[in-house]
Amino acid sequence: MAHVVLKDLVKSYGSFKAVNDVSLKVNDGEFVALVGPSGCGKTTTLNLVAGLIPITSGDIFIGDRVVNDLDPKDRDIAMVFQNYALYPQKSVYMNLAFPLQMRKLPKQEIDKKVREAARVLDMTQLLERKPRELSGGQQQRVALGRALVRDPAVFLMDEPLSNLDAKLRVQMRSEIKRFHQDLKATIIYVTHDQLEAVTMADRMAVMNGGYLQQYDSPAQVFAHPANMFVASFVGSPAMSLIPLEASTANGDTVLTSAEGWTLQLSQLNARKVQRATTKKVVLGARHSTIKLHKSAVPGAIPAKAYTVEPTGDVTFVQAFLSGAIVNVSVPPNIAVAPDEQIWLEFDQERMHLFDGETEMALKAN
Amino acid sequence: MSTIAEPAPRSQARRRMRVDGWRWGGRIFLLFMLLYTALPMIWMLLTSIKSGFAAMQFPPQWWPDQPTLASYQKLLDPQNSVGQDFLRFFWNSLFVSTATTILSVIVAVPAAYAFSRFTFPGRNFLFFAVLLRNMFPAVIFLVPLFILMRAIGLVNTHGSLILTYLTFGLPLAIWLLKGFYDNIPIQLEQAARIDGATRFQAFILIVMPLSAPGIIATAIYSFIGAWNEYIYAYTFLSKNDQLTLPVGIQRFFSENTTDFPGLMAASFMMSVPVVVLFLVLQRYFVRALTEGAVKH
Repeated sequence: MAHVVLKDLVKSYGSFKAVNDVSLKVNDGEFVALVGPSGCGKTTTLNLVAGLIPITSGDIFIGDRVVNDLDPKDRDIAMVFQNYALYPQKSVYMNLAFPLQMRKLPKQEIDKKVREAARVLDMTQLLERKPRELSGGQQQRVALGRALVRDPAVFLMDEPLSNLDAKLRVQMRSEIKRFHQDLKATIIYVTHDQLEAVTMADRMAVMNGGYLQQYDSPAQVFAHPANMFVASFVGSPAMSLIPLEASTANGDTVLTSAEGWTLQLSQLNARKVQRATTKKVVLGARHSTIKLHKSAVPGAIPAKAYTVEPTGDVTFVQAFLSGAIVNVSVPPNIAVAPDEQIWLEFDQERMHLFDGETEMALKAN
Repeated sequence: MSTIAEPAPRSQARRRMRVDGWRWGGRIFLLFMLLYTALPMIWMLLTSIKSGFAAMQFPPQWWPDQPTLASYQKLLDPQNSVGQDFLRFFWNSLFVSTATTILSVIVAVPAAYAFSRFTFPGRNFLFFAVLLRNMFPAVIFLVPLFILMRAIGLVNTHGSLILTYLTFGLPLAIWLLKGFYDNIPIQLEQAARIDGATRFQAFILIVMPLSAPGIIATAIYSFIGAWNEYIYAYTFLSKNDQLTLPVGIQRFFSENTTDFPGLMAASFMMSVPVVVLFLVLQRYFVRALTEGAVKH
């Protein structure tokens, strides 16, 4: 296993920059998820690391080697593709053996390694089949097997679970995580599903528009999103983002809505707002940090329930505040009807404040 | 109740009848097409086993009274001058067609792959340029090509024909094959390259076997084109020992008598390689070789 370093990585197509000055380090044995919406540059970044497309500028290190101009075959990597890319004319056995044959290993050693990989992935009885005779989940396993049979320095995975059905996806998710724990493998895992990133990765690199937005542990990203994009991308349902206007009167800092209501800020939050260069402040709050009241409470803001979605464990209530959708979760025993008058109370400790112009999180110091 | 229910089955029956009408119409049409293509072939076969006299009778003998294989024996007999000629023409045709086919595959495969996988300056221009030749009838190039061939000293050689057939066959071969390569997921090559193959190995070991149906289709197309071509062979070659079959078969026509059974036997044997080629290779057309490669 080895660490991977990306330094000021750029990939441009003409004037369009698909990957823009991305720098990050993946530690030896670390599981890093590249996550973002489609077109954010995450797959391009992975292909750059794999060497499938040439870089425009910057450096890629695998271990202590600069691999910028190396062929994929010389980078000591393995890759699992979204569509599996199994060799259709070869049996499962030959699919697994191919990377070893290409490295000219002796026949007995190939056989040993292939059977070992098949045993680990529980598909010994499938070795003679062709890929078309396998189910989606089995094909996925073969793709995974072809990657791990070779014991590479880095595993690259490009949305390996997105073609599976929901149930199988959850199952394979824990299998890949287990696989990482057992092998202490360095894994770079691309996904558009923030839930996969949060549940599997040691650290997640959130990307958007070719830029790296934030690179931290899932807990940190969740608790301290660097900007509004990360805030709204990570977590489900998405964080509510309410555009407001900050003002200070008699030493108190309040946020005023265009709808007329005001929200008084705690001392810490007030300091954040006062340090901002703009009066436009966006209030961010996750569904679990907003308290729903069915009668007026001091500090709570009146709103009307718009939709009510019971999920069993919790019920999600949607309302509109200042033109923004606000998601609130309530225990299932609290009945809320659509169009019912409700009052929303924001948790000052756990609310997020963003600069309305730069969209960056406001900091107290 | 029964009075209300009654109309339903009747209208169903009427609908079925209408569908049947279309179906029978289709069958009759297909039957007509079948006869249209098969009857001349059958007549060719029947005539080839008649005697020269029986072939000329009117009203015709629908089924020969005395079927004979004499024409075939004559054609395949190396001692006989007709047989010598025929076998030589056959060999010439086989040589020209096979050489054309092999060269056309050798050139079309990498060209089509490049058009499918790479972007390079002038790619679109080149791609449509290869089609330019096909926009004109082949005869237009007859005189220019003859002058060209004479200038480079290729008149009266098989090389002139092979070159000409290549220029005619390649554009479509490249288009045909590009379609096949477009349908092979690029991830297969990427996987192979990551698994330790060079770009070339990935092409040879993974992509080529998958494009076998395309290569076979291209090969058959080039072979048939070269096998049947008449006008260029007639123009470029004048020496008797170099003629190809389509030109050579003409020798059965003469001013006074035409040996119809011999002509038909020769025509039949000329169609044999093409039919055999199709029968042997047709299964590759239907098999979807990339099935199971990627999940959509």
